[in-house]
Amino acid sequence: MFVVRFLEKIGQVFISFLMAIGEITVFSYRSLSAGIRPPYYWKQIAQQSLQIGYFSLPVVGMTALFVGVAMALQCYLGFSEFTAETAIPSVVMIAMTRELGPVLTALMVAGRLGASMTAEIGTMMVTEQIDALTTLSVNSHKYLVFPRLLTGSLLLPFLVFVDDIIGILGGYLTGVYYLGFNSSNYIHNTFSSMSSQDVISGLIKGVVFGFTICLMGCYHGYSSQGGAEGVGRATTNSVVASSIMILLLDCILTFVLF
Amino acid sequence: MSFIIEIENLKKSFGKKTILHEVSLNISPGESYVIIGGSGTGKSVLIKCILRLLDIDSGIVKINGKNVNDLPQSEMLKTLLRCGVLYQGGALFDSLNVIDNVSFGLVYGYRKSTKEAYKIAIDKLEAVDLDEKIAFSFPSELSGGMKKRVALARAIATDPDIIFFDEPTTGLDPITSGTINELIVKCTKEMGISALSITHDINSLKFISDRVGLLHGGRIIWEGSKGDLMTTDDPYVQQFITGSPIGPFTGKND
Ligand SMILES: Nc1ncnc2c1ncn2[C@@H]1O[C@H](COP(=O)(O)OP(=O)(O)OP(=O)(O)O)[C@@H](O)[C@H]1O
Ligand SMILES: [Mg+2]
Repeated sequence: MFVVRFLEKIGQVFISFLMAIGEITVFSYRSLSAGIRPPYYWKQIAQQSLQIGYFSLPVVGMTALFVGVAMALQCYLGFSEFTAETAIPSVVMIAMTRELGPVLTALMVAGRLGASMTAEIGTMMVTEQIDALTTLSVNSHKYLVFPRLLTGSLLLPFLVFVDDIIGILGGYLTGVYYLGFNSSNYIHNTFSSMSSQDVISGLIKGVVFGFTICLMGCYHGYSSQGGAEGVGRATTNSVVASSIMILLLDCILTFVLF
Repeated sequence: MSFIIEIENLKKSFGKKTILHEVSLNISPGESYVIIGGSGTGKSVLIKCILRLLDIDSGIVKINGKNVNDLPQSEMLKTLLRCGVLYQGGALFDSLNVIDNVSFGLVYGYRKSTKEAYKIAIDKLEAVDLDEKIAFSFPSELSGGMKKRVALARAIATDPDIIFFDEPTTGLDPITSGTINELIVKCTKEMGISALSITHDINSLKFISDRVGLLHGGRIIWEGSKGDLMTTDDPYVQQFITGSPIGPFTGKND
């Protein structure tokens, strides 16, 4: 009896998971197919670019700096046992560009922007503003969702790139001013081991993560129901879903781009 | 003669709860039809079904002879361009100021230049008795009644063929209500626009309606002209007009 109920529960969860995937696929198809046809809402695109690309810079830069500093210190602790300190610059570089840069940037942006997208669109949903858009003859997917998906996918890689630079800089500052590395050696070690593959694989992750965050943000906004409480719940779901998706996709992409 | 709105046996439910059982009604061009009915009987839902903002279970809804549930999305948006809607809660875009709200349909729907659209928007703000000083305020800075009037200005800004008014005078003082009523009459009588309104306001009902339908239990149970309203011996209508607690309405919805 218990086993049957347990299996039933698993089945239910599995089915609702598949249904959610189906809904999200339809949702993104509707937004993309509406968005690529003219007219284009440049004003919305510009506004979102500013939000994503510019106003996220402080948060992203700060986390990158802290992590870069911490990375260099941690590596020193481990590597000095084997007198392998010279590997620190390249390890910091690879960790930042391939892994920490994209993932940390995406997680910060998911918390900052994914949440606000869901809250904004969710509020518009429950106060009939999305209905009003439709009856004023505007496709809401084109007006609200597409500009976010587009700018998210294009600008997250940019943020990742900034994050890479600041993170590596953080490592450099720690190495040179705290751990006593020679400045030109540190720089030489960083760049001699750097391949374009490292940076590019991070940027590809950035595109995928940016799209995912905005898709989750908008989708959960549209599925908000009820009043303020419903919007709050949707916002939580949005951030949790994008964070899990980011880590899952990171795993998959790392295998693919390895 | 063809109707601007035709509804046949419309049925709409949410989950197991059926809100509209079988609603049928027709509205002729230039006619002002008013729906009355208790709170929660599905009047707002009916408007959303007509505009295809909600999917219906069965039945036919036609706007200008076109079955809305057969239209592709782009055609539907074009049809909606000829409809103005005043939502019960206003539904103003709170990220945009008053004038951008009012001119939204002109800029995005009709793709007019901002300058031209603003000029029309200012006229419409005047028509609903609002000072153009508030044009650059945001909805959050306005009183409830002002929001309602801005929403009304937005609904009429595109000079539509039919306007849906969901409780246009609720929350307004008697004088502003009077202005709004006159505006609705002007739209229907002078400009030949059709209107489908919902109201709980008996004064407004007497003033703006050509024909009245009483929605109860998911059906239009009484329909008649403004004159019939006063003379009918239908107990539901009488109770609605007098507001008496004693009568067939129980206050609960089945
Ligand atoms: N999206 C929805 N999901 C589930 N139920 C809904 C939804 N929208 C409306 N309802 C239900 O439909 C019924 C009718 O709602 P509606 O808003 O049409 O009432 P109304 O006649 O406009 O009332 P009022 O005069 O108070 O505005 C209500 O019982 C409401 O709970
Ligand atoms: Mg209502």
